[in-house]
Amino acid sequence: MDPVLNGLMALGDPYLLALLLAATIGGVVIGALPGLNATTGAALLLPFTLTMEPVPAIAILTAIYCSATFAGAITAILINTPGTAASATTCLDGYPLAQRGEAGRALGMAVVASTIGGVFSVLCLMLAAPLLARAAYNFSPPEYFALTLFGLSMLASIGDGSPLKNLIAGGLGIFFALVGVDNLTTVERFTFGSYELYEGIGFVPVMIGVFGISELLVQASSLHIQRKTVQMKTIDLPSRDDYRKTWRTILRSSGIGTFIGILPAEGATVASMIGYNEAKRWSRNPEEFGKGAIEGVAGSEAANNSATGGAMVPTLALGIPGSATAAVILAGLMVHGLRPGPAMFTEQADFAYAIFWSMMLVNILFFFMGLRGAKLFARFTLIPVQLLWPCVFVFSIVGAYALDQSMFDVWVALISGVLGFFMRRYGFSVVPLAIGLILGGMLEQRLGQSMVMLNEQWWLMFARPLTLFFFVLTALALFGPSLMRFGAKQRSPMKSSGE
Amino acid sequence: MPRTPEPRRQFESWLIPALIILFCAAAFWLTTMFKTMPPVLKRGIQPSDFPQLLLAAIVVLTLVMMWIDPVRVKEKLHGTTLGTIALFVVFALLTSIDLFLALAVFAAALAAYWGERRVIVLAVMGLVVPVAIFFLFDMVFEIRFPRGLLTNIWYE
Repeated sequence: MDPVLNGLMALGDPYLLALLLAATIGGVVIGALPGLNATTGAALLLPFTLTMEPVPAIAILTAIYCSATFAGAITAILINTPGTAASATTCLDGYPLAQRGEAGRALGMAVVASTIGGVFSVLCLMLAAPLLARAAYNFSPPEYFALTLFGLSMLASIGDGSPLKNLIAGGLGIFFALVGVDNLTTVERFTFGSYELYEGIGFVPVMIGVFGISELLVQASSLHIQRKTVQMKTIDLPSRDDYRKTWRTILRSSGIGTFIGILPAEGATVASMIGYNEAKRWSRNPEEFGKGAIEGVAGSEAANNSATGGAMVPTLALGIPGSATAAVILAGLMVHGLRPGPAMFTEQADFAYAIFWSMMLVNILFFFMGLRGAKLFARFTLIPVQLLWPCVFVFSIVGAYALDQSMFDVWVALISGVLGFFMRRYGFSVVPLAIGLILGGMLEQRLGQSMVMLNEQWWLMFARPLTLFFFVLTALALFGPSLMRFGAKQRSPMKSSGE
Repeated sequence: MPRTPEPRRQFESWLIPALIILFCAAAFWLTTMFKTMPPVLKRGIQPSDFPQLLLAAIVVLTLVMMWIDPVRVKEKLHGTTLGTIALFVVFALLTSIDLFLALAVFAAALAAYWGERRVIVLAVMGLVVPVAIFFLFDMVFEIRFPRGLLTNIWYE
């Protein structure tokens, strides 16, 4: 019980509270700005947390994660442009509601559903993460190797790219992680004699590039798009009738979102889609969905915010990111010299619980901010892109430089940005690249340790029940969807002939 | 019912996989030049083993992608995007004179290129934003920026 209380006590620090308040406001602004999202915001802010102690540094990043995920709903409802990908399904019913003059009601429901989803997921995080860590405590290198492989296999379904392209992007990310001096043998690899490459390619500049600078180039190609803002008079709490209609949806979506978030690499976007679909499937009036159903807003928002807590479970307990933003937070943990994984709950339990409690506080903070300040935050959607993105670029470059005070990192960020833009253009998601870069070194290290442990008889990995279990899960994650599609194709001609 | 013909493949559907495979081939060739460790020191795997396995997997995936999920581009590359990339090059060249001069020029030029016409706003983008960020990082975060034409004025 001590770490739980110690974590809570950490929130008594006025400095931390002030930082959390500022980060929550910052996160809401980032989420409300079209084009910026939680991942970009966290990646841009990561270098500026380096001079801080680990608790405030990581608490800031998680605050950005939670509040920006919620704030995506503001632009989704008011200008039919999801502030974050996870809010795409909120547009479907939020914008029609706003067009009917009920923007306040839609935003009120988004705030309530997001808060309930967020608080629910943090409670699950507090219970599940230590249990998962305890289960994983006795894992040996082969189990860790298989688990990391499983985490990477989940990259196939991340983002908006196709599974194959995601895997290729993830593979390239792992490849970039191999640049530098090999940790196992101290042999130089792909360094070309360059001193800067000895330590490898830093994942922070790459993240700034692929999430921040590549988005700038994406915005360059959408300058012609005119956005129409719906005016909002007031923001009201949902009515009693709205609560009666949506409480089951909110609870169901909170559960779905948390579960999806826990799956490695699956984040808020997938959660909101499933949450929305389930809300529609269980609704008494499914025909209203897409035309302004308040349940649609509730289902989508509860799911995407509950995925934030869920995504932190594998990130902290296993060291495998649960989403793209969790990958940035994982990078932050590593930069601060913390070791995410089972040991975190024995060696740094106070730290872990301080992060949990700060996430809980942020979910409550954005409830009040959402209700009182949504009208103000909505004004941020009016900031012209020609003013916003030059500032983002300056922050990106200075952030990339600040990490090691090295111009080499600036070039890495710039090249990663251009590479990320072209990857996105050709259908390759950049999220697997970033996650592959973080997990690549770990994967090779665990393979090497496994080979030492098994006397280089790699096939013995299949004789270990847990390792085999993760390999089966990996195979299912990679080939399951294709097999299901193939099976459905085989069945469909029979159905049609029957008709 | 007549079958609709499949859309003609764009040159990118060959070019992108070809670039990936070329990159992997070049990287594979580089791995053959890695030092080979004696059995006692190799710690399970040789330094070239994992990269070679990975590169082979990427090539196989790329070949499968060409077959079942070729690269398709929905819209042409916008001139504004190419212009913005050209501004990146200008930025990179100007950093040799001074990082903050490069940032100031880039911020003002990008704002103007993307449609901002108010001179005062452009001046704010080119002067106030970089200067404010410079002092924020120099004085609050104690980041020392690389010496150049403008930063020398402050540091000396």
